[in-house]
Amino acid sequence: MIDRRRFLATTAAAAGLAALPGCRALEHLGIPITVLRPGMEAGHALRGGAPLPTAQREIRTGVAILGSGIAGLSAAWRLAKEGHDDYLLVEGPEPFGNAAGGRFDSPSGPLAFPRGAHYLPLPSVESTPVRELLHELGVIEADPFGPRPRFSEAALVHAPDERLYFAGTWRDGLLPTAHVGTDEAAQHARFLAETARLTRATGADGRRAFCVPLALSSTDPAFRRLDGVTFRAWLAAEGYTSPSLHTYLDYVCRDEYGATPDKVSAWAGLHYFASRGGQAANAADGSLLTWPDGLAFLARGLAARVPAARQLAGHALAVAADRQGVSILCTTADGPARIRARRTICAMPLHVAARVIGNIRDYGFDPAAHLPPQAPWLVASLLLEGFPPEPADAPLAWDNVIAGSRGLGWVVSTHQLIRAARPAHTVFTAYRALADQTPQDARAWLATAPAEALFELAADELRSHYGPLEMWRRTRAVEITLRGHGMAVPACGSLANPGLAALRETDGRLLFAHSDLSGYSVFEEAAWWGDRAGRKVLG
Amino acid sequence: MSPTAQAPGRLPDRLLILSVFVVASCGLAYELIAGALSSYLLGDSVLQFSSIIGCYLFAMGVGSHLSKYVDDRDVLARFIDIELLVGLLGGLSATLLFLLFAWMSAPFRSALYALVFVLGVLVGMEIPLVMRVLNARQASFSELVSRVLTFDYLGALAVSLLFPLVLAPKLGLSRTGFLFGMANVAVALWTLWHYRAEIPGLRPRLLRGLLVMAFLAAGLAGSDKLTRWAEKGLFGDEVIFATTTPYQRLVVTRWKDDTRLYINGNLQFSSRDEHRYHEALVHPALQSMPWAQRALVLGGGDGLAVREILRHANIREVTLVDLDPAMTDLFSRNAELMALNAGALSDPRVKVINADAGQWLETSAEVFDLIIADFPDPSSFGLGKLYSVPIYRLMARHLAENGALVVQSTSPWFAPKSFWCIDATLRAAGFSTHPYHALVPSFGEWGFNLAMKRPGFVPPTRYSVPTRFLDADSTRLMFSFPPDMRPLPVEPNHLNTQALVHYFEEDWGKVIR
Repeated sequence: MIDRRRFLATTAAAAGLAALPGCRALEHLGIPITVLRPGMEAGHALRGGAPLPTAQREIRTGVAILGSGIAGLSAAWRLAKEGHDDYLLVEGPEPFGNAAGGRFDSPSGPLAFPRGAHYLPLPSVESTPVRELLHELGVIEADPFGPRPRFSEAALVHAPDERLYFAGTWRDGLLPTAHVGTDEAAQHARFLAETARLTRATGADGRRAFCVPLALSSTDPAFRRLDGVTFRAWLAAEGYTSPSLHTYLDYVCRDEYGATPDKVSAWAGLHYFASRGGQAANAADGSLLTWPDGLAFLARGLAARVPAARQLAGHALAVAADRQGVSILCTTADGPARIRARRTICAMPLHVAARVIGNIRDYGFDPAAHLPPQAPWLVASLLLEGFPPEPADAPLAWDNVIAGSRGLGWVVSTHQLIRAARPAHTVFTAYRALADQTPQDARAWLATAPAEALFELAADELRSHYGPLEMWRRTRAVEITLRGHGMAVPACGSLANPGLAALRETDGRLLFAHSDLSGYSVFEEAAWWGDRAGRKVLG
Repeated sequence: MSPTAQAPGRLPDRLLILSVFVVASCGLAYELIAGALSSYLLGDSVLQFSSIIGCYLFAMGVGSHLSKYVDDRDVLARFIDIELLVGLLGGLSATLLFLLFAWMSAPFRSALYALVFVLGVLVGMEIPLVMRVLNARQASFSELVSRVLTFDYLGALAVSLLFPLVLAPKLGLSRTGFLFGMANVAVALWTLWHYRAEIPGLRPRLLRGLLVMAFLAAGLAGSDKLTRWAEKGLFGDEVIFATTTPYQRLVVTRWKDDTRLYINGNLQFSSRDEHRYHEALVHPALQSMPWAQRALVLGGGDGLAVREILRHANIREVTLVDLDPAMTDLFSRNAELMALNAGALSDPRVKVINADAGQWLETSAEVFDLIIADFPDPSSFGLGKLYSVPIYRLMARHLAENGALVVQSTSPWFAPKSFWCIDATLRAAGFSTHPYHALVPSFGEWGFNLAMKRPGFVPPTRYSVPTRFLDADSTRLMFSFPPDMRPLPVEPNHLNTQALVHYFEEDWGKVIR
């Protein structure tokens, strides 16, 4: 009877497939997975000490900006805005850095998604470059430098903004205070009251205790001493024992810093809460701004203000400064070139700068001692046909987090669209910081892991929440971005790191601009250092 | 030896071989019906077909295994019993599943797979039993296997071609099911009659067979009525048109002179009183703008608002943006529905665009004198965005300086907070607003909002187009709100808070018990 069965199966399957338009179904048996490892090849060539090529041509410019992440773009934006046109932005191996975005060409049209950072909190009063940029891009509609600017509703995260899967069901918000016992709820309240107090606190120098940009935070030792203990140790010392609070803070630290509270300093752990003082005329405190492709919207906005002739595709291999200027050996589309610049803004991550600038120790930065630990990240975007089912009383939010999971949840790229019908396709972008092993081990695994294993890890939360079959039948394509050196981790001593302090103050032929200078990775810090380097050049 | 035993070497029983052909056809037919039905009702045909086939084949394996427990002396009788059972279950399968889906969707999948499994077990027993019957009557086993399998495959081939090409499109799944069920029962009856000497309990078996046959024949004749009755159970009236599009389920019903359109089960209009809704939606604005030439209708694919707009001779162009081509096709092709909208969608002045209104407004640069926003009520976060400050600002960009925007604004009686929230939202977007209301009996007291960039709108006191509902008095009452419908202090609907969706839920939560 075997043959009869097989016959029945094939004919029935053929009838089923014929009912589908165009027999697309066969491709669905395997979901196409693309893996991107931005900067890895170029970075490993530098690390491996590959022989340097000989320059075939020379490019002269006033200011070379090396790197097109937010710091490099902000520096170029500042120069362009002030009418300085003798500069060249060398894109580097990772255009847009952690603010990169991607695009799927779905059957119902193109869909943008983030390949890295996906939101911006309401900028603090002190984040003047960010506010200036947002005003230029129409995201701030009025009063850009006042205490409460008015923000474009299109960019404010639309309701429902976030939900937490806790104790078997979805809840509003990410801290489940209303769903835990009274003792735990009291600890939540005490923690939030403490961070609210710290948000308003100022040090003996009159500066805010915790500020974005970090450079404007108080240097009062009363707060700085928090840089010497881990966040977990501080929580224990302060009597915070609530498991749900710890779960939440573990999530926050991995989401913000790529590391767990036992690795992150107490100063950094509290900074996340107490530095967010930004307010809006038309949104609640703590609101967020987002776009379908995350912060790539802002990166594109910056890049659009830099003339194409001032941008060069390629990356620096060696940088040397002398009394005459800076000499940069650099790859370009037309072969290796030597850029001779009067001044150079190194807007690359410090682990790359340490390889490219042979004498970086002369600037007060010893990579062996001063390079912050770096967290490996994995960002996976899934192009879905339709949406998986959701409970009627807890619809899909922009950010969806599973309490206690090792993943960091997923954001929905079509959330901000205004549409009469739900889009036929959407993109879920799932985040994961590989915070449970040493960064070295995680990077070694990421460098060689097969696409299927990476997908397995990246889609782990989605598959266990919605069911593997549901995800398989909806997923049309997957793109995974690996960031082995995703972000600097603000470990204990990060604030007092003398190497970072030295690079921040550098003001010679060579200038440094990168969020690494702050010891942690957020848009506002990168924009701050980029803007500052641009201003130093302008004098 | 039985009287009908064959001499060795001769062809086996033609009757039984023929029944192999029929049995094989029916076996495949039930599998295809279950697969097609679940693809149709649940979507995703690859998943549905593969899981149904898997379940069915596995069940057939179980059936083949179970067949060995049938005693050699009972083989023929059991075969007949199983044929009757397969005929009954298989014949009813499609109709049973349809009815189940219409009334309760929760246990549908469980019922589907249980039915497929039981059918598979029974079908799996058929061929082994037939082979045993034949084997007892014929010496050459190799000849037997070859014959049986040949006809088994031929039967499957016949159905696999007939089903998608003829049966499913012409007869529909329900009737195809009944037809194959009758074929199974026919095999049972024929076998029963032919071997009547060998089978104990002939009479009750014959009676049972005839009863099942009559039942299935009645089903075949009445299956259309049955389906219509199922939908009538859902909608109350006779369904004259129903379709499922990628966006929604459209059902048109009729009871005497009342034609109704339901989208996803929600009433969109009743032909008895829709003139009240559509006159109120269109004429107060257009009567006050004799200069208006270009109108835009967002939603409203039924063409009823367009019909009212076209009554104004000064209108030169109407653009209708509706998401669903099935909706606009239905209302521009179906004679009965075209009589309702007076052929508005085929009028040369009308341009129908099937696009998402949100996306279309973002990409188009056209400017209009009148914009009608006739969207579904803000019952979800997605729909709530169509009643938000940014979308009204976007509409303002498409509106002439002295033009008017009219917004369907839910019921000021049942959903007062929602109604006044829409008013507040329009004002937050910079419009000067003129809320009004009209009694549409099939909806109840319904609300609208007329918004303009400049103040100074005065409700018309006469109409230059023929109206059934509007006149000076009814218009004056529309723009006046009695004390029990007075404005409420509410927040405008901003995207980051979506107050409207919360108000709407709260409002209707109080109405629906």
